[in-house]
Amino acid sequence: MMENFDVAVIGGGVMGCSTALYLSRNRMKTIIIDRGALCREASGVNAGTLTLNMTRASLIPYAIKGWELWNSTEKWLLSSIGTKKVNGLSLAFTEEEEELLSQRVQARQAMGAPIKLISGKEAQEIEPGLNNSVRSAAWCAKDGFTSAYLTGHAFKKALSQENSEVMEYSKVRGIEIVKNNFKIFLENNEDITAKRIVLAGGVWLEEMLSWLNVKIPIKCLINQLIITERMPTVMKTVLSIANGLLSLKQFDNGTILIGGGWQGLGDKERGGVEAIPENLRGNIRLACHAIPELRSGRMVRVWLGLEAETADALPLIGNVPGISNAYVIGSVHSGYTSGPYMGWLLSQFIMGQETDMPLFEPSRLIN
Amino acid sequence: MNKELTNKNNLRVAENRVVRKAYATVNIDGCEVKAPVGEILAVTLFVNRKLTLKYSSRNKEPRGFFCLMGSCQECLVQVNNRIVPSCQMVVEEGIIINTGINK
Amino acid sequence: MTKTFPNDIQNVDVVVLGAGPAGVAASKAASQEGAKVIIIDENASAGGQIYRAPPNEFQPHNSFKSPEFQEGEKQRKILSNSNVKTLFNHRVWSISSDLVISTIGANGLGSLHPKSIIIANGALERIIPFPGWTLPGVIGLAASTILLKSQFVIPGQSTVVAGCGPLLIAVAYGIIKSGGKVSAIIDLNGQLDWMKVSPKLLSRPDQLLKGMNWFATIKKAGVKQYNRYTVTNARQVGNMLRVSIAPINSKGLILGSKKQTFVEGECLTIGHGLFPSTEITRLLNAKHIYDTLKGGWVPVIDNYFRSSIPGVYIAGDATGISGAFSAVQKGRIAGITAVRDLNMMSQQNFEAKVKSERNMLKKNENFGKAAVSLMSLKPELINIITSETIVCRCEDVSRSEIDEAISSGARDMNQLKAWTRCGMGPCQGRTCSDAIEAILASKLGSRELAGQWTGRTPLRPMPIDEIIGEYSYDDIPIPEAAPL
Repeated sequence: MMENFDVAVIGGGVMGCSTALYLSRNRMKTIIIDRGALCREASGVNAGTLTLNMTRASLIPYAIKGWELWNSTEKWLLSSIGTKKVNGLSLAFTEEEEELLSQRVQARQAMGAPIKLISGKEAQEIEPGLNNSVRSAAWCAKDGFTSAYLTGHAFKKALSQENSEVMEYSKVRGIEIVKNNFKIFLENNEDITAKRIVLAGGVWLEEMLSWLNVKIPIKCLINQLIITERMPTVMKTVLSIANGLLSLKQFDNGTILIGGGWQGLGDKERGGVEAIPENLRGNIRLACHAIPELRSGRMVRVWLGLEAETADALPLIGNVPGISNAYVIGSVHSGYTSGPYMGWLLSQFIMGQETDMPLFEPSRLIN
Repeated sequence: MNKELTNKNNLRVAENRVVRKAYATVNIDGCEVKAPVGEILAVTLFVNRKLTLKYSSRNKEPRGFFCLMGSCQECLVQVNNRIVPSCQMVVEEGIIINTGINK
Repeated sequence: MTKTFPNDIQNVDVVVLGAGPAGVAASKAASQEGAKVIIIDENASAGGQIYRAPPNEFQPHNSFKSPEFQEGEKQRKILSNSNVKTLFNHRVWSISSDLVISTIGANGLGSLHPKSIIIANGALERIIPFPGWTLPGVIGLAASTILLKSQFVIPGQSTVVAGCGPLLIAVAYGIIKSGGKVSAIIDLNGQLDWMKVSPKLLSRPDQLLKGMNWFATIKKAGVKQYNRYTVTNARQVGNMLRVSIAPINSKGLILGSKKQTFVEGECLTIGHGLFPSTEITRLLNAKHIYDTLKGGWVPVIDNYFRSSIPGVYIAGDATGISGAFSAVQKGRIAGITAVRDLNMMSQQNFEAKVKSERNMLKKNENFGKAAVSLMSLKPELINIITSETIVCRCEDVSRSEIDEAISSGARDMNQLKAWTRCGMGPCQGRTCSDAIEAILASKLGSRELAGQWTGRTPLRPMPIDEIIGEYSYDDIPIPEAAPL
């Protein structure tokens, strides 16, 4: 492919896809490249939770905007990915958890999150299926979830409609700066030329940045997810616990998804390899403690998703340090929620506009 | 000779060919039914002409067992408030079975 | 990974997964050479599908004890007289990359830590979907075998028996012998197809004789046989099933409408052959190869049944469909190879034993090959899957939804699954994978291009209350808090 693109986005997760979508809408000749199918990594295998309870306090304003976007996908993504708006509750079962919960609620309220601390009894009114032993809860009405696995298909359609070039199953092996352009080399020996590049490779950002001789360490978490078969309705909210290590929801089709960041075994090279039995049991025990009725069902699948985390657990959004016309986005905890909004901000930046909210300067993380 | 082997309208091969040493009473959707101890529960339901065991996920169409060996998961029923494949359970005294999940 | 479950077994050399003829043979052979062996099976006793034991509470009359029943009793006795430790009523739900086997049984979760594993989990029955296949009263041929052999129940007052392979004839015979009526036999294969394989059947004259007896019994009962016919449709009419059938050519293509007709029965039992179960080998990421002569996707193995993963061996139909007789030799070779690889056996002893097993294996394998060719998937048969036919039973995914996903760009099994939800239900793709792979392959050009679904844990749906057991909140090892 010899055409000269205005921008090449490398990495087809929610960050890369959103950025590419907004740029192509603003008439930039765009190409998005992924070594697999769009949104088949973290963006497609996460729990789909759109939560303010589990988002870091400092990222709340971004998550609120992201939540609004996921709740209006017909406007910008042009298809539905099953977004459901429901109440979110983060639960405290012990005294320590109550204290922790109270701290976290205050921090998020300070950033504008519509979260309220309520009693165990009030929580049970919102979620009757809750264990009687719940002491208090953080309640957020602006909560909910999507079916993450539908994201890739939706972006693919939207991007194709904007005449953005979508190149799946194409692995990039390196980038060179030639004159004032970027030459992107694919494993099949094709190369693509673009005036600008956006690195949006999630857990593989560390490797991508090294193509440009920039060193930023990115940690790779191996997050466990568990799904049950279709069950009678036992809950109607999205649940978490005080310290954030539970995500629990029931989809319209009756299946229940359990997550929260319990770790499995794996790495960037091999992907998720296998669950750790004690963590599998622990995660499910925690979920059953919150919703006892869960016991009557059966687990049908476990999988592991890779999640990227920077040294300060805040995202990278901005210029690739030291290289003009090269940008980077991603690696944020629970980034699915704010993904579309962060992509929007980067697209503004790339087009030379003032961004609606501050970015996150990547150079702060240079080793 | 063939007519001796099964009683009319009874799918179980007659007792002069195979002795079923003990019988138990199980409850199927509120009805008490006698069944041989050890018989696969899905088979008991089948013999008693309870062919529909559950309803399919999206279309809510009637389903019965297909593989009888724990693979297809079509024979799901409720036993003591748990969802179980009826081909993986056997008749015991007092079991309470409810069909019709997802109707 | 140091926490132990209540049922943690450390001191074991070889674990055999599956107590059918291959697994029993493998475990006995390994144990005889001094290895500490555990055999594990979800059923209450050994026998697999073919030699499945009737309930203990059932006592068949001597004249009603089929050859399979007797062989099964023999195998169960062999096992109980050996030093093999048995774990019945236990299910394997996961195997880690360092071969730690996670189990679940009456005592809750457990784990086994063997040095080697022999996978003998047999085969699954292929069924190509058609309109009406999901109706209650439509059951697999393998299911009918279980009804007849281990439950002593006939599938219906009258039964239409359809599909292909030796199972077709065995089931028809079994129904007649048990006093039931076979409305008709609908065989994908023609008489020529049967005759073509008869030379191979000669390598086991005892079995050939048995087969001829089956055919004679069926003929004597006056059963109408339709050769080179397929079922195209099943409908409920009163409490009967009206089964539409149509003639096909050797590739499974439906021929002109003149000879299409229908038959009726209270039950329709149908199966389109067997294929090796690869759920465990896919979970372990073993290498696989597609081989029509073996029934479909099979794990890549060497001449001693070693898989592509060190310490993992495969035996029986799991290596490729070849029947219960060759399963014994395969099991024995795999068992002693595992022991040899653990250096618990001399090379001389090993080679001598393998040699004697190979001679018998060749004979039995020839017989098995006849069965496979009768059961292999005729490529055009997928045309009976009309666009409204439900292909994924668990998630009610129709052929038209699958075709649409493929036209809009789904280019491998995993992507097809993500876009349509096919394979996401509790059967975990076992029922529909072969048909969906065939559909995708017909569009992409080959099975290899279509691929298989990634193996996932748990291997079977697991009751949550059995996983969690009794516990208190303090027992839960909740990880560190997420960043503020």
